[in-house]
Amino acid sequence: MSSGEGEKRGGGDETARETGARLAAAESLNATLHWSQEALNAEGSRVDAMQQAGVLHAVPIALKDNIVTTGQPSTCASKILAGYTSPFNATVVDRLRRAGAMIAAKANMDEFAMGSSTEHSAYGRVKNPIDHDRVPGGSSGGSAALVAAGVVPVALGSETGGSVRQPASFCGVVGVKPSYGRVSRYGLVAFGSSLDCISVFGDTVLNASRVLSVISGHDPLEATSVREAPIALPAMRKDLKGITIGLPREYFPADLHPGVKAATDRAIATMRELGATFREVSLPHSKYAVPTYYIVAPAEAAANLARFDGVRYGPRHIEPPDGDVRALYQTTRGTGFGPEVRRRILVGTYVLSAGYYDSYYNKAQQLRAQIAHDFRAVFADGVDYLFTPTTPTPAFRAGEKSEDPVAMYLADIFVCAVSLAGLPAMSLPIGRDAGLPIGGQIIAPYFQEPGMLAVASAVEGVVDATAEVRG
Amino acid sequence: MSIGKEEVVHVARLAELAVSEAELQKLADQLSRIVDFVAELNEVPADTSAPPFQAGPAMTPLREDIVSPVPLARGPGSFAPVFIDGFFVVPRLGPMEEE
Amino acid sequence: MTWEIVVGLEVHVQLATRSKMFCGCAVTFGAPPNTHICPVCLGLPGALPVPNAQAVKLGTQAALALGSTIHEHSVFARKNYFYPDLPKGYQISQFDKPLATGGAVQIDSPERGPMNVSITRLHLEEDAGKSLHDRIPGKTAVDLNRAGAPLAEIVSGHDMRSPGEARAYLTALKQILQFAGISECSMEKGSLRVDANISIRRHGDPKLGVKTEVKNMNSFANVSRALEAEYERQAGLLESGGKVQQVTLLFNAATGTVKPMRSKEESHDYRYFPDPDLPPLVLAGSWIDEQRRSLPELPSALRVRLQAEYAVSEYHAHQLTLDRAVADYFEAVVREGTEPARAVGWVLGDAMTGFSEGRGFPVAPVRLAGLAGLVQDGVVSQQAAKRVYAEMETNGESPGAIAARLGLLQVGDTGTLGQWVDEVLAANPGEVARYKGGEARLIGFFVGQVMKKSGGKADPKKVQPVLLEKLQT
Repeated sequence: MSSGEGEKRGGGDETARETGARLAAAESLNATLHWSQEALNAEGSRVDAMQQAGVLHAVPIALKDNIVTTGQPSTCASKILAGYTSPFNATVVDRLRRAGAMIAAKANMDEFAMGSSTEHSAYGRVKNPIDHDRVPGGSSGGSAALVAAGVVPVALGSETGGSVRQPASFCGVVGVKPSYGRVSRYGLVAFGSSLDCISVFGDTVLNASRVLSVISGHDPLEATSVREAPIALPAMRKDLKGITIGLPREYFPADLHPGVKAATDRAIATMRELGATFREVSLPHSKYAVPTYYIVAPAEAAANLARFDGVRYGPRHIEPPDGDVRALYQTTRGTGFGPEVRRRILVGTYVLSAGYYDSYYNKAQQLRAQIAHDFRAVFADGVDYLFTPTTPTPAFRAGEKSEDPVAMYLADIFVCAVSLAGLPAMSLPIGRDAGLPIGGQIIAPYFQEPGMLAVASAVEGVVDATAEVRG
Repeated sequence: MSIGKEEVVHVARLAELAVSEAELQKLADQLSRIVDFVAELNEVPADTSAPPFQAGPAMTPLREDIVSPVPLARGPGSFAPVFIDGFFVVPRLGPMEEE
Repeated sequence: MTWEIVVGLEVHVQLATRSKMFCGCAVTFGAPPNTHICPVCLGLPGALPVPNAQAVKLGTQAALALGSTIHEHSVFARKNYFYPDLPKGYQISQFDKPLATGGAVQIDSPERGPMNVSITRLHLEEDAGKSLHDRIPGKTAVDLNRAGAPLAEIVSGHDMRSPGEARAYLTALKQILQFAGISECSMEKGSLRVDANISIRRHGDPKLGVKTEVKNMNSFANVSRALEAEYERQAGLLESGGKVQQVTLLFNAATGTVKPMRSKEESHDYRYFPDPDLPPLVLAGSWIDEQRRSLPELPSALRVRLQAEYAVSEYHAHQLTLDRAVADYFEAVVREGTEPARAVGWVLGDAMTGFSEGRGFPVAPVRLAGLAGLVQDGVVSQQAAKRVYAEMETNGESPGAIAARLGLLQVGDTGTLGQWVDEVLAANPGEVARYKGGEARLIGFFVGQVMKKSGGKADPKKVQPVLLEKLQT
């Protein structure tokens, strides 16, 4: 990856060729939905012709397919958007291109970002590059797999309830979710609007940080965009002296997977050696995060996905007889959306429908406030960052959780609360168990991404993330 | 079982989703499983001590009243499933029709 | 009427902004279909709304003009329903936390005299597009130019008890909104739309009946007609032992009837919830005060001022304030030096005819004042001035030049007048004899004959002395 702004020119054509070769070699992962050598070459020529080399000069990047681009289709891995190419670019896409990045591919995902395994793609499941029988996590599994397989150094995913941190953990790469509102959502196909964050995968903390520095910053096209400066590149540090890290006891249950426990214990010991102080803290409402999330996100999704009606874009699966526009809606939506999306639309519609609003949606809003308040209280009490496992287990086998939607939802138990609170957080590879990567999660107060990334880079420098943590 | 077939039919109609008779029971089972799971929250005592949560800015920004649409790289005819004489075209509204 | 009709009205007005409620597309009328659209108002995947500051300002001013309480904290909500011209499958509106609540509109009830109609709420929302059923055979054509246009919905209390009161309310409301510069309020262009809620009950019954909603009325007159038709329908149902169902009906202006919409299989369940794309709308108290201070003069205040400042009658003050443009024109004509009483005559007379026909006021105030001056100075007669005015509407010449060209300048020189008088007296010897025999009232007959002979050009004030002189001899 480029070593910095303004230093290097050219290299776009070469990058296009090499990236194309790697994408072709990685086809068996099913991690991409759209890419072409031709488009890559065009990107290479474009960046070569740029007057100034940007922060990401000639860096190939993959985008989750729910980030719209005028250059490739954006299908959200759904049949309902088969063949759809957006007539406008997401704000992040414009920013990446201006910084010299090359849009290399659109990555496979769980349909409309609903899932934790990237098995819910209308275009087939993505394989975990570490073990093809296992899932890469989700919903940004395609982006995670492309970085893990070394196809691209960086990729964009999106988080609604952990969809970047969780696959980063399963694939052994860095995954960073910024504070809510810090990276523009304009051009991210909405799932749960109050939760959605475009997030970044990187092969290293530094590379992920570079991308964040480019894509973050206020966007006047989004009302929930915060008026904060772009995320500064972290001051890379070698020690953690003077830093207090909280360990929330609810995130270290007695029945935690032993490999995960060993990995987090080792990471904590390492950070202590680097000078960090640890303190046990409590986030008592985090245990309600998953059910709270599964009310808030589907409710918002049910409305967000109402626009896919076959009227203005997307294929019509039938051309119904005259006099029946509802047949058009019902068939387009009934056949265009896959099973998990349909389930969530139905749940979201149900919890908002007459008579249920208070007991579900309102209750969830109250708990969301409590969950966020827990974090605020801990950070106000002298804790700089929190550290937890990213996931309760390493990557599970494909098909293992397909039958029970709730079992799948619980794979996000450690990442969901952060999403509800809108905080920045990341997953960092901290070791392996039986060959499978394990991630540690660092959670920071609002807008403290640079500090969080600095802590992560210090750990990254000393932890051997590919080493077995048991035996 | 919190959700029966009738409720699935009702909700599917609100959401304009075709649901076949054959899958109704399975959907009712799955939705019940999900709804029972999230209904756990109702066992949590009401506590409104935390301030209401607002993702992002506390108040909406306002846009100046200037004509400045985000341009379309391609016109609606390029992505609309049916586009005739400048119109998006759908079947007659049938029962939804107002006239 | 055995039954009492209870009416509440929901009025949607399009706010007079340049761009749409949540995107930078122009608000237009009559543009080719789907030419003012963007990712936001098309509901394209990934597009996001940002509210228009001017729409918020106009909505606030509208509410202030109605005496409503502005809420410093209001919330945009999604109203979920499917319709081909509703691009996102939900409308961004406001629900449990509207921009404003309370307020009232003073009306003059034809049955009950001056009264207040209460305002329940005013909220901001976006418009839908248009579905056209007659463009493509067997299909519905959707035009989204209007989708996302800014609207204020103004909901009245159920305070009206007759179609006449409903009409008076609409007239007063439209007047206020036009005066405050909130909206064009044209039903023809769809910038003002009315839905009516109607129930009936026995006189004296404290309990409200089941209400229905009537839509599709394209003029205030049709609102009255629709209310009457729905009253008859409900009364017919109850009198024949039936029940009123809570339905939505469409008014058919051609037949003057109301008809329930075909499908009401399920009651609407709009599943409102706060729009997560839009943080709360927070308005500073000081900003609201500033809007209150900068409100233009409203009709009721203007009526009082016109009576005090120009000594016009209450009736004329009312007529002058039916439209802001009329009052403005009146005041401009007065400023150009016309006596207020004469200005009232011209503005509510000849000038008003053209205005009512939609031609505006084509004669500049200074020119109308010039014409009024010619009449006052006796240069042209009132009668002749009307002909001059008709020319002035299409002709930029000065009123004096027009009068001269048409030969309408009054003749006051005694030579010419004397000649006309001689001719009249010569032609009517019988009347002359009767006059001289003591029938003094015949003087009016002679004046009239002279005026006729002169083709209206003789100055009547000068004819009489000449006549009297000649009749003496």
